[in-house]
Amino acid sequence: MELRTSKLSKRRGIVATVVAATLVSTSLVASLGTSAQAAAKPLTIGISLSLTGDFADSGTAAQKGYLLWQSDVNKKGGILGRKVAIKIVNDASSPDQVVTNYTNLITQSKVDIVMGPFSSLLTIPASRVAKRYGYSFIEPAGGGPKVFLEKNPNLFFVQPAATTKGGDVFADYILSLPAASRPKTAAYVKLDDPFAAPLADNIKARFEAAGIKTVYDQTYPSETADMTPVISGVAAAKPDVMVGGTQTADAFAMTKAMIQLKFNPKWLFLSNGASSPLEFPKAIGLKNTEGVFTSSDWYPKSTAPGTAAFIKSYISMYGGTAELIDSTSAEAYSAGTLLELVAKKTGKIDNKTIIKTLHTGSWPTLEGNLSWNAYGEPQGAYLLTQWIGGSLKTVFPAKIAQHAPVAPKPAWVG
Amino acid sequence: MHLVIQALILGSLTGGVYALMASGQTLIFGIMKVINLAQGAFVIVASYLTFSLFQMTGLDPFLLIVITTPIMFILGVATQWFLLKPLRPDDAAELSLLVTFAVALGLEGALSLFYKTTLRSIMPGYENHSWTVWGYQVNEVRFYAFLLSIAMLGILYLLLQKTKFGRSVRATVQNPMSAQLLGVNSKAVSAFGFGLGVSTTAAAGAVFGLITPFNPGSHYDLISRLLTIVVLGGMGAIGGSVIAALMMGVGAALVSALASPIWSDFTFFIVLLLVLLIRPRGLFGAKVRGAL
Repeated sequence: MELRTSKLSKRRGIVATVVAATLVSTSLVASLGTSAQAAAKPLTIGISLSLTGDFADSGTAAQKGYLLWQSDVNKKGGILGRKVAIKIVNDASSPDQVVTNYTNLITQSKVDIVMGPFSSLLTIPASRVAKRYGYSFIEPAGGGPKVFLEKNPNLFFVQPAATTKGGDVFADYILSLPAASRPKTAAYVKLDDPFAAPLADNIKARFEAAGIKTVYDQTYPSETADMTPVISGVAAAKPDVMVGGTQTADAFAMTKAMIQLKFNPKWLFLSNGASSPLEFPKAIGLKNTEGVFTSSDWYPKSTAPGTAAFIKSYISMYGGTAELIDSTSAEAYSAGTLLELVAKKTGKIDNKTIIKTLHTGSWPTLEGNLSWNAYGEPQGAYLLTQWIGGSLKTVFPAKIAQHAPVAPKPAWVG
Repeated sequence: MHLVIQALILGSLTGGVYALMASGQTLIFGIMKVINLAQGAFVIVASYLTFSLFQMTGLDPFLLIVITTPIMFILGVATQWFLLKPLRPDDAAELSLLVTFAVALGLEGALSLFYKTTLRSIMPGYENHSWTVWGYQVNEVRFYAFLLSIAMLGILYLLLQKTKFGRSVRATVQNPMSAQLLGVNSKAVSAFGFGLGVSTTAAAGAVFGLITPFNPGSHYDLISRLLTIVVLGGMGAIGGSVIAALMMGVGAALVSALASPIWSDFTFFIVLLLVLLIRPRGLFGAKVRGAL
C-alpha cells in the first residue's frame, strides 16, 4: 500500500512538474512570440486574381504588378516598418469563385487589407464582400459603369477615369480644333459590349452637340469574325472621322478590313486594341499603325512620375522590354502605391484610414494624379495617344504632349 | 449599287473560306455519322501550325499547306482511332458529340498553354493586299482562298468518285454491313475518312490565320458557323455545304452592309430555320443514307 502511495505520489509529482514546465515554457514562448511578432508583423494583403480562365492573361499581368510592388516596397523596408505579404488566390475568372475567395481571405486568412481582381465582372461581386466586412477596396481593373452604380464608398478605381469615359479626350482634341479644320461628318462603329459602345456614344454626344453630322452609327455583335462587310458600309458613308468602340480582336479585324478596303478616314480613333503597344503592330503590321488614335491610362512612354523606375524594376524582375509591359501591371502596381501614400500621409494603415484618406486630395501614381467621387469613380481623363513613327505617343492634352497630333491620317501601307 | 456589288464580292470570297472548312465537317458526318465538334479547334490548330512554321521557315503560308495537310491528317486519324473507335456502336452517335467536344476543349487548353491567349495573325506581307477592279476591292488572300477551296473540293470529289478508297467510303456510307461483307475494311475507312475530313482544316487554318486575328478560343465562333452551314446544306452533302457557305457569306455581307451588322448572323439563322421547316434534311441532304 505504502509503496503504491509513494509510487503514485512520485508519479503525480513527475506529471505535475512536466505539466508546470510545459505551461511555463509555452507561455514563455508565447510571450516571446508576441513581442517578436509585434515588431515585424507583416501587413497581409489578400487578392483574388484570374490566373486561369478567360481573363488569365490580364490576371497574370495584374499579378506581376502586385508582386513587383510588393518586392519594391519591401526593399524600402515595407509600410510603416511592416513587411508587405501579398496572398494571391486564383478565381479562374469566375464571379462565384471570387466571392468565395474574398470571403475566405477576410474571414479565414484574416488578411489586413484586400485589393481588387481583374475585370468589372469580378470586381462588382468582390467589392460587395469587401464592403460587408468594412474593408477598403482599391481595385486596378474594374472601371465599367456598373461598378460605380454599386455606390460603394469603400471602392477606389485606380485608373484616370471610368472606362466608358476613355474616349472623351479624343472629343476634347477634335473640338479644340478651329471650326474650319474640324471634321464635318462622323461614323461610329461599335462592339455590342458594355464598355466599348457607351464609350463611342459619349464621343458621339459631344460631336453632335458641336454640329458634327453622324453619317453612320451601327453596333456589331461580338461574334462578327469578318469585319469587311461592316467597313464597306462605313466607307460608303464617307465620314471624315471614324470612331471605333472596340475591344481587342474586333479592333484588329476592323483595322485589317479598313486596309483591305482601302478606306482611310482623316481621323481614326479606336478605343481599345490599338492601345496595346505590342499586340496592335503584331496584328496589323507596324507600318499600318501610323496615325491611329487611341487613349491610354499607362503605356511605356508615359510621362507619369515613377514610370522610368517602374520599368527598370519590372525588367530586372521579369526580363523583357518596356514594350512588353501590360498596362494592367502598372495599374496593379499603382494600387499598391496608394497604400504606401496613405501610410506616409497618416502614419497609419488600416481600412478606415484608407477609405477616409483617399476620399480627399489627389494621389500621384503611374496612372497620373488620381482623385475619386464618393463611389470610387476617378475624376481625371485618359491621355490621347497616337501611333507616330512606330510607337504610341501622347498627343493631347497639349501641355503634356510628346508630339503634335498627326492629321489627316497617312494612307495605309497595305 | 456599288455597296451591293462590293458586299456580294466580299460575301462570296468569305463564303469560299467557310466552304473549305465545312466540306471536311460534312465529309466526316457523311462517312461516320459523327458530328465533329472539334472541327473548329482543328482549324485553329492548323492556323497555329502555319503561324509557327511560317515564323520558323519564312515559307509562304499557302506553300506550307503541303506540310500541314499530312500533319492534320495524322491528327484526325489518331483522334478517330484512339478516341472514337473504342466507343460502343450503339452509343457512338451520342457519345461522339461529347468526345469531339472534349477534344475541342483539350486542344484549346493545350494551345492556350503553349501560345497563351494573345491574338496572332499570319503576316507574309500581302495579307491585307487588295486589287482594285472597276472600283471594287478584291482581297488577294480571300481570292486565293476561294480558288484553293474550289481546288480542294475538286480533289475531294475526284477522291470519292474515282478512287478505290472513294468507292469504299461511299459503300460504307450507303451500307456499312454490306460493305464489310464485300471486303471493305470499314474501320480503316472510318479512320481514313475522319483523317481526310480533318486534313481539309490545314488549308482552312492557313487562310483563317491570314484573314483574321485568332487565339485558342476562336474555335467556338467557327464551330457554330460550320454546324449551321452543314445543317443548311444537308448533313453529309459536300456540294450542299458549299452552297450553304456561299449563302451565309453573301447573306451576312449584304445585311451587314445594307441594314445593320447586328442582324447579319441572325438573318442567316432565320433562313436556316425556314429551310429546316420546309425541308428538314437541309438543302441538299439525301432522303436516304448515302448521297455524298
